[in-house]
Amino acid sequence: MATLIVIPAFNEESSLLSTLDSLACLDSTEFHILVVDDGSNDGTAAILRERSQSTENMTFVSLPMNAGIGVAVQTGLIYAHNHDYDYVLQYDADGQHSVESIDGLLRAATVDNLDLCVGSRFLNADESNFKSTPVRRIGIRFFARLIGLLAGVHVTDPTSGFRVYGRRAIAVFAQQYPDDFPEPEALFWCTRNGLRVGESAAKMHVRQGGVSSIRYARTVYYMIKVTIAIIIDRIRSKEV
Amino acid sequence: MTAETLMLICGTGQFLITVYWVRKRELREKYAIVWLGLATMLLLVGIFPTLIMDFADWTHLSFPAAALFFALAAIYLYAFTVSISLSHQYRRSIRLSQEIALLEQRIRTLETEQS
Repeated sequence: MATLIVIPAFNEESSLLSTLDSLACLDSTEFHILVVDDGSNDGTAAILRERSQSTENMTFVSLPMNAGIGVAVQTGLIYAHNHDYDYVLQYDADGQHSVESIDGLLRAATVDNLDLCVGSRFLNADESNFKSTPVRRIGIRFFARLIGLLAGVHVTDPTSGFRVYGRRAIAVFAQQYPDDFPEPEALFWCTRNGLRVGESAAKMHVRQGGVSSIRYARTVYYMIKVTIAIIIDRIRSKEV
Repeated sequence: MTAETLMLICGTGQFLITVYWVRKRELREKYAIVWLGLATMLLLVGIFPTLIMDFADWTHLSFPAAALFFALAAIYLYAFTVSISLSHQYRRSIRLSQEIALLEQRIRTLETEQS
């Protein structure tokens, strides 16, 4: 079973190396790593060039300009589709995600035959688990309710970017994937189109470096844009 | 100057500007058609001012309000079309940049394998 770990990275020079180091414990025959440099203007590209020469199971693609997390993730999904991977694991470059949770996430995806399995910070009973800031938690709960209301499925962490895509999801998202802030939209799209969606407990940390793509005034834009996108998606006809 | 003369001048001006930019190959014929259509409308209204007056009577609007309605409708329709066109262009340029990035990775891998 071949799994591609897709790491979108925009100006992540401070945390990228430690994130890649943490993944070194994984079986290199089963796991391949693809870092998608989203037009970084710091030392990210240099780190990737050097690291890819010394790490056999790791490669990278560099987008010519900064295009946003959705485009970066989709580039990884296109790569996975072209190279016939069974699963894609989306993993943050900033050290928020925990390598120990990868096995559980993939197991949940294979055992339950899921097309999309989301790593949820709220299903993890560990007290030390980072459960995001209070404001973010309000946003997460809002989207969980919205998706629950419109799709009739219970999810706890719809904004989590720690997730596994199966073959069906890889194939459809390689063709079309939400642009910016894609996580809740992609999750809703899957439920609406009859793809199998589930969650698995995941451990998360406070980010080690980089800057979140969702800040200040963008939070308002994020909430409005994603809400509109989900509501409009609800009135589309099935696409698969 | 009357409103009709103003419309005639603007219509002629718009016609000339559009043809000039198409001639320079800076404006695609596809988009020029819309502008030429608008210029024709302005000219028609300039030549037959009763067209707007009849419309104003029919809708119980004043003449300026009826003229404004047409102007805003034209601006809205064109701006909306441009937004859609921009969205298409965005998707195309994104897909192109993704293909470039993936091809660059493929070339790099092939070069490493060869050396």
